[in-house]
Amino acid sequence: MSPEAHAGASVALFLAHAVTLEEEAAERYDELADTMAVHHNEVAALFRRMAGYSRLHRDEALGRAAAEGDALPALRPWEFAWPSPESPESAALEYTHYLMDAHQALTLALAAERQAQAFYQQVADTTADSRVRALAGEFAEEEAEHARLLEDWLARHPPTPAQPKDDLDPPVAVD
Amino acid sequence: MNTAVVIRPKDYKSATKPVWCPGCGDFGVLNALTKTLAGLALAPAQVAVVSGIGCSSRLPAYTSVYGFHGVHGRALPVATGLAVARPDLTVIATGGDGDGFSIGGNHFLHACRRNVNLTYLVMDNAVYGMTKGQASPTSAADWAGSKLTPDGTGIAAFRPLEIALSAGAGFIARGFSGDPNALAGLLAEAIEYPGFAFLQVLSPCITYRPEQMEYKALVAAGFEPLADRNAAFRRLLTDDGFTTGLLYRAPVAAGGSALATAATPDDTASLAGIAREFTAARLHAANEHES
Amino acid sequence: MQPSFSLALTGSGGAGVMTAGQLLLDAAALAGRYGLMARSFGPQIRGGEAAALLRLANRPVESPDDAYDLLVALDWGNIERFADELPLAHGAMVVADPGQGEIPAVIAAQTRRIIQVPMTALARDIPGGRPNMVALGLTASLAGLPDAAMETRVRQVLARHGTDSVTAAMACLAAGRAAAADCARDGLPAFGDASPPGVAAHLDRWVLNGNEATGFGALAAGVRFCAAYPITPATEILEWLAGRLPRVGGRLVQAEDELASIGMCIGAAYGGVPALTATAGPGLSLMIESLGLAVAAEIPLVVANVMRGGPSTGIPTKSEQTDLNIAVYGLHGEAPHVVVAPIGIADCAPTSAWAVTLAEALQTPVILLSDQALGQTRTIADPPAAALPAAARRWHSPGAADAPGVYQRYARTADGVSPMSCPGMPGGQYTADGLTHTDAGIPSTRAEDHVGQLDKRRRKLEHHDYGGRWGEVSGTGELAVITWGSASPPVREACERAAAAGLQVRLIALRLLSPLPVVQLEAALAGVQACVVVEHNHSGQLYRHLRAWVELPRPTLAWHRPGPLPLRPGEILDALHHLQRQLEVAA
Repeated sequence: MSPEAHAGASVALFLAHAVTLEEEAAERYDELADTMAVHHNEVAALFRRMAGYSRLHRDEALGRAAAEGDALPALRPWEFAWPSPESPESAALEYTHYLMDAHQALTLALAAERQAQAFYQQVADTTADSRVRALAGEFAEEEAEHARLLEDWLARHPPTPAQPKDDLDPPVAVD
Repeated sequence: MNTAVVIRPKDYKSATKPVWCPGCGDFGVLNALTKTLAGLALAPAQVAVVSGIGCSSRLPAYTSVYGFHGVHGRALPVATGLAVARPDLTVIATGGDGDGFSIGGNHFLHACRRNVNLTYLVMDNAVYGMTKGQASPTSAADWAGSKLTPDGTGIAAFRPLEIALSAGAGFIARGFSGDPNALAGLLAEAIEYPGFAFLQVLSPCITYRPEQMEYKALVAAGFEPLADRNAAFRRLLTDDGFTTGLLYRAPVAAGGSALATAATPDDTASLAGIAREFTAARLHAANEHES
Repeated sequence: MQPSFSLALTGSGGAGVMTAGQLLLDAAALAGRYGLMARSFGPQIRGGEAAALLRLANRPVESPDDAYDLLVALDWGNIERFADELPLAHGAMVVADPGQGEIPAVIAAQTRRIIQVPMTALARDIPGGRPNMVALGLTASLAGLPDAAMETRVRQVLARHGTDSVTAAMACLAAGRAAAADCARDGLPAFGDASPPGVAAHLDRWVLNGNEATGFGALAAGVRFCAAYPITPATEILEWLAGRLPRVGGRLVQAEDELASIGMCIGAAYGGVPALTATAGPGLSLMIESLGLAVAAEIPLVVANVMRGGPSTGIPTKSEQTDLNIAVYGLHGEAPHVVVAPIGIADCAPTSAWAVTLAEALQTPVILLSDQALGQTRTIADPPAAALPAAARRWHSPGAADAPGVYQRYARTADGVSPMSCPGMPGGQYTADGLTHTDAGIPSTRAEDHVGQLDKRRRKLEHHDYGGRWGEVSGTGELAVITWGSASPPVREACERAAAAGLQVRLIALRLLSPLPVVQLEAALAGVQACVVVEHNHSGQLYRHLRAWVELPRPTLAWHRPGPLPLRPGEILDALHHLQRQLEVAA
């Protein structure tokens, strides 16, 4: 797919993007949960929940696809028309830290959800296909709803005031 | 493996959890690799990932394909032996900048020359992570972040792409761990290139080089694939080290490896013939040749 | 003792003594003789002085004799360098060219039987004639080789150079023979024809050096990959394989260094293809780290280490059994592996094949300790009596229902050998690792995994049935000699001479050096009252190794000396007599 290709060119193409977006978001949250679990960080549970939500959305997209009856196009990872290097709801790996707290984790997730919302909205705003426009608008609204929930959640988890700047257990030599 | 079953990227991951720091670029490289393998629909048993020692060299164990985690600096020889002995496999050598350009530097030069069909993916973070942050060959000469070289190394940084080009590599590219989809695409091209393919991947170390978190702002796609070596050299003269993409892809006819020809089938009759070469009878056989 | 005839052909700068020596050995083979030819060179890359050192007999010989019966010198260039390699027998004949100046004092001091033959002048009289061909005709005649055998061989070699070359060579051979006819033969050991003319059985004999035999054994056992970095005196193994591997579906890669060649072998063997590389001490030193990896990751491969004088660059062209210590004890960590050594030139083939089978059966590296004396000495030998052993690896057979991650690559089996998979085998995926690992190959720092894997890697070596190839035991009596590798042929001959003189000595020649076959050795030593350990090095490496593992008789003497001079039967016979006196004193 060329860089100019539009994720909203057809309903099938749009749903292929939506399914992959949610699938990759779930996998990324699982990956983050795994890395945090290795470090005994409680935010692992939070990421695990986010992964669950993303899977629900993926199933929803898959349901829509089933209703359409057509098989989704099998795109290779580098053939998607994402506006960002990764699919938009993939939480940024590089902004994690093994000592991160719930506030930081939720901030990370919020950014991912907002990016997903922006993606869907952008598709809705620019597609020529009216059915895609309706679907993308609906998905964008759902992501906006998730973002609002995360904002509420974030308000209940203010930044940890006493977080030390320096790591009390500096990294160790391994191999 | 039933080929009708669609294999997804996560199916190429093992249950073993990485030792990498959360935030490490190598997670992105692992994701790109699994996406590539899924994108190319390669059977996991037909792929082998071979590494040396270092943070990034831990990667093979995190995949569900065949893996080899060897000694420091020797990923390329092991991968070369495997690829030559088993040309039916997809062989990928991986490792870091210290493993590949310092202790293994000689092998890098000769792997570029030898042009055996394998892919060499170097996760470059310009630091030795597993030994607590010493300067690597790709560290800037004035990087003073290590206790070992408190005033910097004073040694000009190794320039992997220029060296690969000079040594005769036929496929040279640079990717970024923060852009795993594009990286997966580059990696797919590298794997499908019928010769030695070198892929430098900028893969930040958030623990010892936290400033590399800014890579996302610095890295930009910019290489346009060149087939002309002369042009590739000129392009590298203005390389800022953060340009990604496929720099050079030698026409395959020019890059064919002497080692790429298929082996003849095993033949026990040949062995008997070889044994006959030792016999005294050969010393007066009419067709013998010697100097 | 049956007679044998030892002769040396010396000359410098393109005189062609090596060619002449090789042709002489070939003709001996055609005539049904046994024999061997060693070579001695100066340090020059080409054109330096050279000596072809032959011994001919009517029985298999793999040891040099104590001294030379005949020295044919085309010239005297740098003879001082050779002198200690050319001990002359009592009454030895020296043939010299009067045009080459006076007989050097070092030679004149050894014999008065010097015959002047103007080989250069004789050759000059023949159009296209060469002095080395005159020397060849003369030497073949003095050695009692049939004219027909000599001429057949020379004709064949020169055929492609055209009729004129052949005619000139035949004339030179005749001129040399005529000159020999003038020499009084009394005192030269005479030995008759090995077999009547027309017997074809001797044409089945093999003419080869140990390096070629090593390559052949590996190929026969199933080696199909070789990574090569040239080093003297091992290079011929690699060059021999380079020409043969493609004919049996194998491949050879020239590596950039020994760090790479061992790594490439590991890669190929990991891929299921039996692999071998050949090197010498300096190269072995570079391979050691990766040999430890092959132990830990349980990768089968063979390193044929052709020993030379050491340490460091040492004397690359001369033999010394000097790498036993590094081969057995040189690896870091606890790294059980196998070390074997051929006990003769022809034995290089079966022992090399055995090394491959051990590596494959035990999934561990095997170091084969050959040396320059075995590798670069050409011999006429009976072909192998039995088929060479073929390698077999214990393969994993994946179940159809195996889930990913189920396969236990390093399963702790009763005998310690775990069924192995290799890439291409669905369901067998694992990561081979030099890190301490679990049974599944997952890196681990747990004590239970570390000890468990150490145990099982040791167990597979301890539980293996090494069969009868561990060593050669012959003779009876209260005296024993233990030796290994290339020291075995001269020791064997010393024992034969002792027996002929009424001194019975038990010979134990070891092929298996690590793990030492302690039970077999102690059984072989039952009833022995005194023992001597003979080897070709400076510190008695086998002696010390035995002392660490085996209950040796008291007294057990250590007899060893370094290269570059080859071990000779006579000096070992002296050691046996010394041992006998020790026993008498003790009694």
